[in-house]
Amino acid sequence: MQSRARTVLAGIAASAVIAGATVTGAFAQSPYEGEDVTLIIPNSPAGLMSQYAHTLAPHIAENLGARNVRVVNHQGGGGLKGSNILWESDPDGMTFAMTNVPTLLVAQLAESPGVQFNATDFTYLGRVQADPRLMFTGKPSGLKTIEDVRNLDRPFVFASQGTDEDFYTMVVLADALGYDLKIVTGYEGDADTSLAVIRGDADGHMTTWTQSAPAVEAGDKYAVLATTFERYEGAPDVPTALEIIEDPKQKENMQAISSILVLGRGFFGPPDMDPEATEALRAAIEKTLTDPEVLKEMKEKGLPVSFNSADAQKENVDRVFANGKNLTPMFKEAVTKIQ
Amino acid sequence: MLDAAWAGLVALGTPTAIFFTVVGIVYGIVIGLLPGLGGIVAMALLLPFTWGMDFAAAMSLLIGAHIATIWGSSATSILFRVPGAAKSVALIFDGYPMTQRGEASRALGASAMAAVLGGVYGAIFLAISIPITRPVMMALGPAEYLMLALWGLTIIATFSEGSLLKGMTAACLGVLTAFIGMDVVTATPRFTFDSVTLMDGISFPVAMIGLFAVSEMMKLMIKGGTLIERTVTEENSSVWQGVRDACSHWGLVIRSSLLGLWIGVLPGIGQSVGSIATYAQALRTSKHPETFGKGNVEGVIAPDASLGANEGGGLLPTLALGIPGGEGMAILLIAFIGLGVVPGPQMLTHNLDLVYTLVWVVAIASIVTGIFAILLTPILARVPTLNPNVIVPLVLAVCVVGAYSDRQEVSDVIVAGVFGVLGYIMDKYRYSRANFVIGMVLALLIERNLHISVSLYGDWFIFQRPVALGMLFLIIFTTAWPFYKNWKRDKELKKVAQAEHGSAS
Repeated sequence: MQSRARTVLAGIAASAVIAGATVTGAFAQSPYEGEDVTLIIPNSPAGLMSQYAHTLAPHIAENLGARNVRVVNHQGGGGLKGSNILWESDPDGMTFAMTNVPTLLVAQLAESPGVQFNATDFTYLGRVQADPRLMFTGKPSGLKTIEDVRNLDRPFVFASQGTDEDFYTMVVLADALGYDLKIVTGYEGDADTSLAVIRGDADGHMTTWTQSAPAVEAGDKYAVLATTFERYEGAPDVPTALEIIEDPKQKENMQAISSILVLGRGFFGPPDMDPEATEALRAAIEKTLTDPEVLKEMKEKGLPVSFNSADAQKENVDRVFANGKNLTPMFKEAVTKIQ
Repeated sequence: MLDAAWAGLVALGTPTAIFFTVVGIVYGIVIGLLPGLGGIVAMALLLPFTWGMDFAAAMSLLIGAHIATIWGSSATSILFRVPGAAKSVALIFDGYPMTQRGEASRALGASAMAAVLGGVYGAIFLAISIPITRPVMMALGPAEYLMLALWGLTIIATFSEGSLLKGMTAACLGVLTAFIGMDVVTATPRFTFDSVTLMDGISFPVAMIGLFAVSEMMKLMIKGGTLIERTVTEENSSVWQGVRDACSHWGLVIRSSLLGLWIGVLPGIGQSVGSIATYAQALRTSKHPETFGKGNVEGVIAPDASLGANEGGGLLPTLALGIPGGEGMAILLIAFIGLGVVPGPQMLTHNLDLVYTLVWVVAIASIVTGIFAILLTPILARVPTLNPNVIVPLVLAVCVVGAYSDRQEVSDVIVAGVFGVLGYIMDKYRYSRANFVIGMVLALLIERNLHISVSLYGDWFIFQRPVALGMLFLIIFTTAWPFYKNWKRDKELKKVAQAEHGSAS
């Protein structure tokens, strides 16, 4: 009996020591020490976004001192569902998200149904990557340069999946460069629009350079325009839209679109996130995305990284909403045309 | 070319490649058996493990797992009416009636062998078809996809036994269900009632789990008995019978494989549409179309052969044009890049041995999956004969997990329950659930491609697209032919009856 009592007392004492140590440690360490953090991905578990998240999550957890960064997919509504969930989540820093930020901004600017957030109020945590979108034309169209597109004596047929950022970018481009546009929506993914262009059903579409490089090298497609601020290093001969557009108002619209597209895939948290947690999370993300070992691993996996700081991300979002207000009527008119 | 084919095979002879083929297949069968988790999820989960592997081992693991999920998901469709993945839905139509007749082993054997033959034919066609992929892809566009979907629609009449009106009502209900969510063309919300959850529509596998499996369990709870018919005391078929069925219907297997291969080639047509179109083809070319939907083994062989060949088809545009044929192939494309292999036309000139490695992987993985399937069939075929006290909680638990795992949403479990009630009512009042499925699968494909065709070629697009026009004539002919044959037979029978009546009087 005495021996059993001794065992129980020893157990209680040990527990007290461990608990005490934990409490003391907690005061001294980051808010994430030993915590489980949730990373929401508003996209498919099989998609590229999830591949990025699963590869980066353990590194972020390590840099945060967290026990685990758990990836949870909330796909649906073109990324809106997961973003709405994040908007409503507790701002204690234990939940953050990663997605294609331009999709959110464009949805809000176009006043799409289903948007329950204000993108300017999200807590931005850092950009992972931005793969520039380029405009490509197909060989059967005979359009090799953007000047050919501008001189076309019929509407330029653009293949699109739906009312995504490519759709709206093309609306702004056609308005700024002065060519007639016919958008055919309903294609299922980049592969489908690419095939439509190669087959000659449509004149052009928008994708990343990486996705179209094999077709360009095979002579099936031509890269005619970049939507970036500077010429894309992978295709230095392709002019940017901003180089060509002369009208200051149109240039302003294009700058707003380019600012949206440059946001790329990024991390963000709910509004008014706990300042201490925000600081720790931004530092951990920056450390992860600038770590040479992580960058090497990502490159080997075909997941390129082009980090941009949270401040730059936030600056871009604010610029978009300051300059992009006149885009809303243009976007709404374009949607009405296809309905 | 032969050197490249040999080099491709040798690369797969290493112990590592053999080990990962087996690991991939076992894993794929398990994933396939779990409803809601299909080949794409299987590949996505394995992808991170392939970094640093050599090309042959990585492809053995990924493609092996993807191929194995086909039989796994077909098995649950046949045994419990629970499609493991959306693409296996056509297996329900005849596979489950075979189980009810006590022929689960035969159905599973036929399914496994058809998938093996489909996979091997798919691999052979893949090797042969590489040079003609491009012209075929260039010839087929939205108008032709539309015709393919219309062909699938023609089987509605088959499942409308008793009342065509009820059959059409069920199909319309399926179409309306598919329309819930964002419109695929204009992104306008339809039937969403401002619910963000509904904006993404009703998940097809979840609806199928409810409509078939949950409703069947409800029926079993209410009526009692076992899944197999009361008159059948035990499993009365063998797996070898099914294997022989698949081999003896070699013509059907080749036709279905070719269809599956080309459906895999074309981005924009899902495998679920493909399996229904293949089912329609089997029905239209069968000598016994009247037994379809009642346990005709041809209705099991055709979709599985098509799904087996689909793998090879999906690889073709990836290799010939660098365009992934489907979501699964998009994951494979990521794996290619991760392994330092640049996909696209240059693979045919610079890396032909790797192309043949892929051809061999498809063929070998299909065969090994078939062997595993044949070994597992006797065990799995016994499950439907179990007491309802065991089977109802077992299947319902699998249904709940399956419905949840599809999108990790509790709301999907509720949706499965709602569709369970709907399925029970439809079954009780004889509204065809198969027609509901056909309507739901084909609705968006028809809407999407009709819209694109009209936008691109105008209202009379059919006369501008010769291939589509040819397909339309084929649809009219294959649909009208059985009616013509019946009319002719009735006419002859009348003549004989009149002649007999005349001679008697």
